[in-house]
Amino acid sequence: MTDAEAPRTTAAQDLAVRREPFVFTGNAREYFGIWIVNVLLTIVTLGVYSAWAKVRRLRYFYGNTHLAGASFDYHARPMRILVGRIIVLVLLGLYNITLNVFAPAGVVLALILVFVIPYLIMRGLRFSARVTSYRNVRFDFTGGYWGAFLAYVVGAIVIYLSAGVLAPIASQWMWKYTLGNLRYGDRPISCDPRLEKLYGQWWLPAVVLVAGLVLLVGIAVAVALPVFWQFDGGAVGDEAASTVWIIALIYAALIPFLALYLVAGLLYRAGTRNVAFNETVIDGRHVLSSSIGRWRYVWISVSNLAATICTLGLARPWAAIRMASYMATVTALDTTGSLEDYFSSIKTEGAAVGSEFMDVEGFDVGF
Amino acid sequence: MSDSEAVGGLWREAGAAAATPALLDVAADGTLTVRTSADGQELARQAIRSVEISARVGTIARHVTFASGGDFETSDNDGIDRLRDRHLGRREGLIHELERFRPRLLIFVAATIALCFAIYRYAVPVLVEVAVLVTPPAVTDIMGKSVLMSLDQLVFDETKLSDARRNALDTQFQALVAAARDMPAASSPGPSYALNFRGGGQIGPNAFALPDGSVVVTDELVDLADDDEMIMGVLAHEIGHVEHQHSLRQIYRVAGITALIMLIGGDIGAATEDIMTQGATLVALSHSRAAETEADRYSVQLMHRTGQDPAAIARFFELLRDKFGLGGDVTFLSTHPATQARIDETRRYAEEVKAGKR
Repeated sequence: MTDAEAPRTTAAQDLAVRREPFVFTGNAREYFGIWIVNVLLTIVTLGVYSAWAKVRRLRYFYGNTHLAGASFDYHARPMRILVGRIIVLVLLGLYNITLNVFAPAGVVLALILVFVIPYLIMRGLRFSARVTSYRNVRFDFTGGYWGAFLAYVVGAIVIYLSAGVLAPIASQWMWKYTLGNLRYGDRPISCDPRLEKLYGQWWLPAVVLVAGLVLLVGIAVAVALPVFWQFDGGAVGDEAASTVWIIALIYAALIPFLALYLVAGLLYRAGTRNVAFNETVIDGRHVLSSSIGRWRYVWISVSNLAATICTLGLARPWAAIRMASYMATVTALDTTGSLEDYFSSIKTEGAAVGSEFMDVEGFDVGF
Repeated sequence: MSDSEAVGGLWREAGAAAATPALLDVAADGTLTVRTSADGQELARQAIRSVEISARVGTIARHVTFASGGDFETSDNDGIDRLRDRHLGRREGLIHELERFRPRLLIFVAATIALCFAIYRYAVPVLVEVAVLVTPPAVTDIMGKSVLMSLDQLVFDETKLSDARRNALDTQFQALVAAARDMPAASSPGPSYALNFRGGGQIGPNAFALPDGSVVVTDELVDLADDDEMIMGVLAHEIGHVEHQHSLRQIYRVAGITALIMLIGGDIGAATEDIMTQGATLVALSHSRAAETEADRYSVQLMHRTGQDPAAIARFFELLRDKFGLGGDVTFLSTHPATQARIDETRRYAEEVKAGKR
């Protein structure tokens, strides 16, 4: 790390745009040990250790992510995460009990939940940002409640009502909110993905989804329908037997549809991340760059999932490291001028100072 | 000795990004000092007991945080551990030690799998029993009422049976309930049973029980049955579900397994977690097989006690089989005994009850 800190400026480099790649140095062998101990201790302690497990896991991933010779760091205190988890768990428990005991209250509860979730998301994003540092300087998140409400509640409604046609609008809100409200130390970060660019990434998954649906429905009509007819008569009377049959059949029939939906979702997520990152500017001078290969991303995600399930979860550490390595290699920062001179002036400021002792984690929606 | 212990790294003032190459050293009395590598100028000084040394995770860089907020960062994990162990006289790297890639990780894997299985097999059922015991009757009461309310809005129509017919069936039902209260294993206050008639709508001939003792039977089932004993056989089966608190158990079981999966959560990935939760619901449904058998047997016993045909429920299944052809010896995922097997078992048990006990 020391050699990267050595002065590397020349007059020529000051003007040129230099690409600094993200580098991930974690390996599956090392992470396997961390992972299995996390899982085992979490079970033995009835879930209490999960907060400590999360800190060790994220410290491993952040600490192994390097940019321009320095690594990221995760500073959360397990106790604060535990408190946050207990709060969320109690809320969820109350919600489920009320729902099971008094079903008609569901409408009111759902309404309350709709207004509480953006708040929890906002707190979660703020917590994650403030306990993350790079070169000893903390990130901060300044997004407010209504931004989260727009990005996550209104966005979800827009996607649902338009059957996905307006998804890029929701994506624009979401990325603007999550990345555009970040700060690095006292420096602002802006993110303004243009709608036409997001739509440029929308076509492929939309076509894949529609074409796949047509194909699957065709197969379903040809093959599956006669099977369902056979059980039509069985749906009456012998309630338990027929319920189990029908549920099992529905599951079997749904798997191809879920797989299709998954692939389209992955294509879309990768494409929009590229767009959003490429239009994210730190302090008006450093530009993020993301160049995920969309089909490559689908392949890695799907094969990771398959490997994890086939090994009863034991391949999960390998899968997680594989994904983190790939994401690092396709991410970079385009900078101008001397990074050393630049960093010499940056400090952690405001509420991010010491926030790991005060803040409580809300919903963990990743960051 | 001091020289051999010095650790190289980077020094940063509180919250600042600017870094200075520095050396961390410790004196015999346990005082840490940080000096610049270039000219040995002192940057920080503090007792090793009061600094914060970040825990070792894999091979990531370590941080020594001073009271001033100043931060010493180093990749020399072994150097820091040596220095800390010698001067603090205790080892704090226990978790890291466990995590190292050694053959004993295989034992951890085996222990994890065994624990998951044990929780699923033993702890969840016990917790379900405890939860069922502590659930106050008021809760099952509201539960039953609200479910029936929802179903009335979504599925059912008004019954079209005549008052006389309904009263006749209700009288027979009350006789069953009275007998059920005399059963050896009956719960002491017991739920307050009530028979409800509904037009079945989409679900056709059917009957089911709610945890508060509300039993619902559809007009279609009443019309389908050859005689009233068949209907009573079905209702006795439903009373069995209530007495054994099957629906409450089912709810708690799904909740328990979901909680188990969430416990491991975080570290297995969101997609895997979703798939496992869905799978768990399917597995939990397979418990309905045991519940159905239990309720069938209950029906046989109760019908026998009230002097009716113990095999009435089996006759009803045969009727269903002949009318709708739901037969065959298919068993899917062993989620439920094939209907023929169920009929045979119920008939066999009915014979046993008739012959053996009184």
